[in-house]
Amino acid sequence: MKLFLVLFLSTLLLVSCTSKKEPQGDVVVSVLDSNIPHLDPIHSMNKISSTINGSIFEGLYHYHYLKRPITIEPALASAMPEVSKDGKKYTIQIKKGILFQDDDAFADGKGREVTAKDFIYSWKRLADPKNKALGWWMFDGLIVGLNEWRDQMRNGEATYESEVKGLKALDSHTLEIQLTRESFQFIHFLATPPTMVMAKEVVDKYGKDIVNHPVGTGPFVLEKWVRNSEVVLTKNPTYREVYYPSEGSEVAKKKGFLKSEGRRLPLSDKIIVRIITERQPLWLAFLKGELDHGIIPKDNYDQVFKNNKLKKDVADKGINIHYLPRPDVTFIAFNMEHPVLGKNKNLRKAFAAGLDKEAILATFYNHRGLVAQSPIPPGLKGYDPNYKHPISYDLEAAKKYLAEAGYPEGKDLPVFDYEMSSTSTWSRQYGELLKDLWSQVGINIKLNANTWPQFDKKIKTKKATMFDMAWNADYPDAENFMQLFYSKNISPGSNNFNYVNRTYDELYEKALTLQPGPERYKIFRKMVDIINEDVPGIFVVHRIFRLTYHDWLENYYEYPIIYDHLQYYFVDKEKKAKLIKKL
Amino acid sequence: MTFLIFNVVGGDPALQLAGKYATPEQVESIRHELGLDQSLFHQYLDFVKQTATLDWGRSWQTQSKISDMILSGIGPSLSLTVPAFLISFFISIMVALFSVSARGALLVWDRAISIFCLALMSISFLVYIISFQYLFAFHFRWFPLNGWDDSLMGRWGYLVLPWMISVVVSLGPNILIFRTAFLDEVIQDYVRTAQAKGVSRMILFGRHILKNAMVPVITIVVLQIPFLITGNLLLEAFFGIPGLGGLLIQAIQNADFPVVKAFTVVGSILYLFFNLVADLLYLVFDPRVELR
Amino acid sequence: MMAFTPNGLRRPSAIISLTIIVGYIALALFAASGWLGMDFASTNMDLSYHPPSADHWLGTDFLGRDVLSRAIHGTKIALLVGFFAATIATFIGLTLGSLAGFFGGWVDDLVVWLYTTVESIPYILLISAFAFSLGQGLSNLFIALGLTGWVKLCRLTRGEFLRHKNREYVAAAQALGTSSFAQIFKHILPNVLHIAYIQYSLSFIFAVKVEVILSYLGLGVEPGTPSWGIMINDAKAELTRGVWWNLTAATLFMFVLILAVNIFTDSLRQALDPKSKSQVASV
Repeated sequence: MKLFLVLFLSTLLLVSCTSKKEPQGDVVVSVLDSNIPHLDPIHSMNKISSTINGSIFEGLYHYHYLKRPITIEPALASAMPEVSKDGKKYTIQIKKGILFQDDDAFADGKGREVTAKDFIYSWKRLADPKNKALGWWMFDGLIVGLNEWRDQMRNGEATYESEVKGLKALDSHTLEIQLTRESFQFIHFLATPPTMVMAKEVVDKYGKDIVNHPVGTGPFVLEKWVRNSEVVLTKNPTYREVYYPSEGSEVAKKKGFLKSEGRRLPLSDKIIVRIITERQPLWLAFLKGELDHGIIPKDNYDQVFKNNKLKKDVADKGINIHYLPRPDVTFIAFNMEHPVLGKNKNLRKAFAAGLDKEAILATFYNHRGLVAQSPIPPGLKGYDPNYKHPISYDLEAAKKYLAEAGYPEGKDLPVFDYEMSSTSTWSRQYGELLKDLWSQVGINIKLNANTWPQFDKKIKTKKATMFDMAWNADYPDAENFMQLFYSKNISPGSNNFNYVNRTYDELYEKALTLQPGPERYKIFRKMVDIINEDVPGIFVVHRIFRLTYHDWLENYYEYPIIYDHLQYYFVDKEKKAKLIKKL
Repeated sequence: MTFLIFNVVGGDPALQLAGKYATPEQVESIRHELGLDQSLFHQYLDFVKQTATLDWGRSWQTQSKISDMILSGIGPSLSLTVPAFLISFFISIMVALFSVSARGALLVWDRAISIFCLALMSISFLVYIISFQYLFAFHFRWFPLNGWDDSLMGRWGYLVLPWMISVVVSLGPNILIFRTAFLDEVIQDYVRTAQAKGVSRMILFGRHILKNAMVPVITIVVLQIPFLITGNLLLEAFFGIPGLGGLLIQAIQNADFPVVKAFTVVGSILYLFFNLVADLLYLVFDPRVELR
Repeated sequence: MMAFTPNGLRRPSAIISLTIIVGYIALALFAASGWLGMDFASTNMDLSYHPPSADHWLGTDFLGRDVLSRAIHGTKIALLVGFFAATIATFIGLTLGSLAGFFGGWVDDLVVWLYTTVESIPYILLISAFAFSLGQGLSNLFIALGLTGWVKLCRLTRGEFLRHKNREYVAAAQALGTSSFAQIFKHILPNVLHIAYIQYSLSFIFAVKVEVILSYLGLGVEPGTPSWGIMINDAKAELTRGVWWNLTAATLFMFVLILAVNIFTDSLRQALDPKSKSQVASV
């Protein structure tokens, strides 16, 4: 038995000495802070899965890596689409010679050329009711005949061979798409993972396991995926010829991102994407140099910043910050169907006036971000930097509203249930702050922590009284934020305020038919006025994320809806060798 | 039992699968497809059938085969649990033996060890993880912070620190259990006889007492293992080990009912298996077969 | 019937630990009556993460709340959780165990089936299932802990009953025509009570410690209540920026309480458990 012990201790010593794993070649170690459930592009509706899907798959269009505000440009399409006069017919040419990644599903294991039919197949897959695709909402009601095909599929009356009127392959490399209405979002939809191209052979071969076998045309192939631990992507040898862009925003120029101009993509041989869900290891692993970039937990801001500037000793170590304004808004929503809260506008105003948004911005976001005045975030056309919400933080005003609401000093006021969207420390502390702030007005809330499914159920079945949430742009158009209050979208849809207003609906429907431009934004402005008067929710902040990276990681220029960013990264090995000693 | 509890709570998987732009029509059709519109009894029958065939179908959340998910989690879980368990087991035996043999002349030592064990047990698991990770992986840089290598040889380096924590946590209770078991043996008649016969202390403790004390110890200690395997979610989350604990907790938090069901069965299987192991070990250690 | 053997309990360590426990109870009572630590919830953004000072002996947390007040208030929560969870668990374990051991037959089968089922389900799954179905909150927390923590005591009680059932004094009582109910309470129960005492304090410790893990999973007490588990979880990422006081305060408060209960239990074990009593005299 003692022998065993000695054996154990010695192996222990041995392994602890030989543990360092040094990868070969040009490797980037990236990180995600949340688990990836599956890698099927049709379900890819968040940044986490889309980061991987966007590196493996490609769509017809994508966003220019370095231009800001972001600009759409062709990816697999050879040019921007030809659109008919009525704006309903799109003709798109596809690049020739694009190959799927090699996979056993193809004859000889060699990927074949992508044709127009592959896109039609992939989009039918998106519509197939059996697949329950999370990305289906984009095409829902938009393409002529696709909804009918979906219904027929459900009844077993159609197959993938059946024709869909609005989706035609004019020849092997030309697509013709007929829309039911004019849509300015459609082109943006073609740049999201759910519309990216897949091969029928691969889907057929892996069947339901396709969720773990992504095969696309993109810069990387999936080498390994250890669930809850890491994803390893390696360079796709048959990737089409793409070169690093030669234009970019001022920031990109200043940061020297154009130095890689003209180099063939992807710039690295291998990307290791680590999945670390806990904040402490995520941050420490970055500080130690195990990760090339990282995320600063809110508790660690002070470690890096002083008076909103990077601290000198941190900067000397070669740690850099990337400021990322997000096209999003965080809000506290009221359920307008709640018998008390929904009927009492002054009560909602009391909540709004009692919320110290500046304090929230200061502590929870360390001053990085903007106090929200409306749902429309900066960075989107239609955002007006001079617009001010009629109600601002004012304790006295809040008390007055409360009295006008019929509850002077909170007398007879029920306690409201406040639903937190997660069980995290962050959510809890946020809730505790709100509770304390509103108690000064005379309003009492009860905090309920929820797991996401519990929360989701409560808001979609209209059981929640009030709750916190954030909405990220799914496409760069203010309309994506306006639809949150459209009465046809009430729960289980995206209007979880359950806000119904006839005038608002009419304006919304009118705006949908207009070209992006001043007239459309004027209508949006009117709609914002209506919402800000009715207070179905309190818009809190538009966030600016701060991402950290080591100087040795080149071309780190994150943006929320750019998904093919990993191909632009590479590590300057000389710099790394020098800097890592300082950590 | 878990079947019933999870049916009442959690969330509505149909709503969740429909996503943020859900329409009522979509929710209904998903509900139908998952069989959620059937009676509870019907769903229960399905569960019994699945249990009998060990085929739980696919996870709602990941759409992967549940059996594949669980199989991929077993390796990492065992690599984390078993070595830590054995290390703790051996250290505990040594310390407990010393502690018991120290009674008498060195009684202070015995007392000190007991108090030390109780002190070790008085700190939260989470505190150990947070502080050990900070100190040993970050401050002193002795170990990698977080990560996993799927190859059999590469993974051990990542596991040393989690083992350490796991050993420190289990040391307290284990030493105390062993100590009590040894003490119970020390007062037996055969020990006196042996002492009178002049059997050396070393042999007495190292062989006879150790062996006889194993029986009660095994019951308690071996039966810990199934709980360690599924219960290591904290270590897994902080050190990035893709084991069963993490799968389980994600399933719970995402109301992934098929996976939860599968885990109740896996739990029972592990439980039965280690009960069997305990029984087999009795055969090996049974004092009636040996010694007298 | 076993009487308290004063030997074990008269040790200085036992007396000290008992004093500490009483001290904690006093602290909790002060917190409950509003004399101490009432400012646990008042936030002050200007005071975020201030180190220990004369105003705030143990510093402030992220929202500028006084850590000492929170720790004191957490004492109340911990004692409530420990006390009620242990009481419920002990009650269930003792009742089921004695019923099974005494009656045997199908009652025994049922109880054995029940506890093997409960035991075979991964604990974290079981406790989350209960916590989810009951919802969040202090009372639900200790109900969940109580409903899942009775197995060991039940098993031990049943075992003791089986051992004692056929002893002479029980048989004698039976011969005298005493009803079965009286038999349990008069004769056997006192003999298994020492196990119950010890299991009670073990359950207490377990409950206080599990609260931390449940808080980590978001299944602990309702947000806004400053439990030690919540404090430790808040402190998860604070250590790296040098904020050690939040973690230390909660850990220290918890450490002293649990150590005291642990030592007290140990002394109790030595005093009550007949087997251990003989240990004192051995070798």
